[in-house]
Amino acid sequence: MNDARKNFSDESLNAFVDNQLGAQEREEILAAIAEDADLSRRLCALRSTKELVRHAYGQVPAVGSTRDRRLPLWSGALAAGVALVAGVLIGWQGHRAADTSASKSLLAWAGSFFAAQPTRVLLHLDSSQAEHMEEALDMVEAYLAKAGHARVEVVVNNSGLDLLRQETTPHAARIAALAARHEMLAFVACGNAIARYRSAGLDVTLVPEAKVERTAIEHIVDRVRQGWTYLKI
Amino acid sequence: MQWLQSRVQRELAGQIEASRGRLYRLAFAWCHDTTLADDLAQETLSRGLARLEQLREPERLMSWLFAILNRCWIDHLRRRHEEVDDEVLAEMPSDLPGPEGYAERQEAVIRVRTAIAALPLGQRQVVTLVDLEEFSYAEVADIMAIPIGTVMSRLCRAREALRGLLKPAAAEPRLRSVK
Repeated sequence: MNDARKNFSDESLNAFVDNQLGAQEREEILAAIAEDADLSRRLCALRSTKELVRHAYGQVPAVGSTRDRRLPLWSGALAAGVALVAGVLIGWQGHRAADTSASKSLLAWAGSFFAAQPTRVLLHLDSSQAEHMEEALDMVEAYLAKAGHARVEVVVNNSGLDLLRQETTPHAARIAALAARHEMLAFVACGNAIARYRSAGLDVTLVPEAKVERTAIEHIVDRVRQGWTYLKI
Repeated sequence: MQWLQSRVQRELAGQIEASRGRLYRLAFAWCHDTTLADDLAQETLSRGLARLEQLREPERLMSWLFAILNRCWIDHLRRRHEEVDDEVLAEMPSDLPGPEGYAERQEAVIRVRTAIAALPLGQRQVVTLVDLEEFSYAEVADIMAIPIGTVMSRLCRAREALRGLLKPAAAEPRLRSVK
């Protein structure tokens, strides 16, 4: 019957496609589909729209592509840190206004991070990608150049452990130099990650500056609770 | 009891860490800007970890986390648009450039992303929460702090608009099959 057919609202049909209907209403629609070509066409269109949306974001551009764009920008952040230390009075606002070509959101983020000048900062690295390791150390250096008395911890887990392994780190000298210059800087390795490496038959000898905590996640949660500013590289 | 609670929290903190990819994908579907999506995911992780103690029902971790993402996104828009209320934001027409120029040149994908980028913000959020993250309507209502009726009406309008925007694409294969 035509009148009965028109009873299904768009809301109901959407809910049917999203599996959000109660059993009874669901049965009613299922029963009606067979006799109502228009209904089945509407449902089909909704379902294919849903599929298109899903498919469109099945693979999104990697964060990696973001990072690549970020790297040169970090030199901007570094330069700003150095400039401030040198006593040149360029505030972040000024820097941001001047640098219109760079990504606004990154500058907003880096700007707010630097401007707030947290005294306790936790940097978390869980990747052994060369640019991520470098970004972590660049960040430490830039921040300590600006806020010399801040406490900064670099916490590594997963393959980020490679930053602190003598067997793999390309940055042993830089880590030693940073640690020598900044008393309040610490490098922390995840005990779990070390155990996983060793059980996979890999040697783990940490650089002398590194200390070990039971797990990185526990340590991060503790620090965040204590009011540290947490930043994932 | 204390140790049990902290064990649960550690477990939850691990799950929050592991959700970064999902947060990033959804944020990307909202803003179509990889840098901003990454920042929003980062901000959500930080806020989530810092506020873990406020999570009353651990089984609702994911909708809690996506609600934080929604908050971060709204905060970002507020900073850009200064004083506007939630209703105005939700209906805000898209001023996004559209996802042109990304690595995937696949035409259909770009066309759909462009159509989604053209939806008013509130519709864009609801349709991606339902289709990409498969949240129930009740969860989406919770995440966005809106009534469930609003979730349903936005979803209807979003899908209708998408169908309209993608019509030429949908008509093509039909013509071909007629031939």
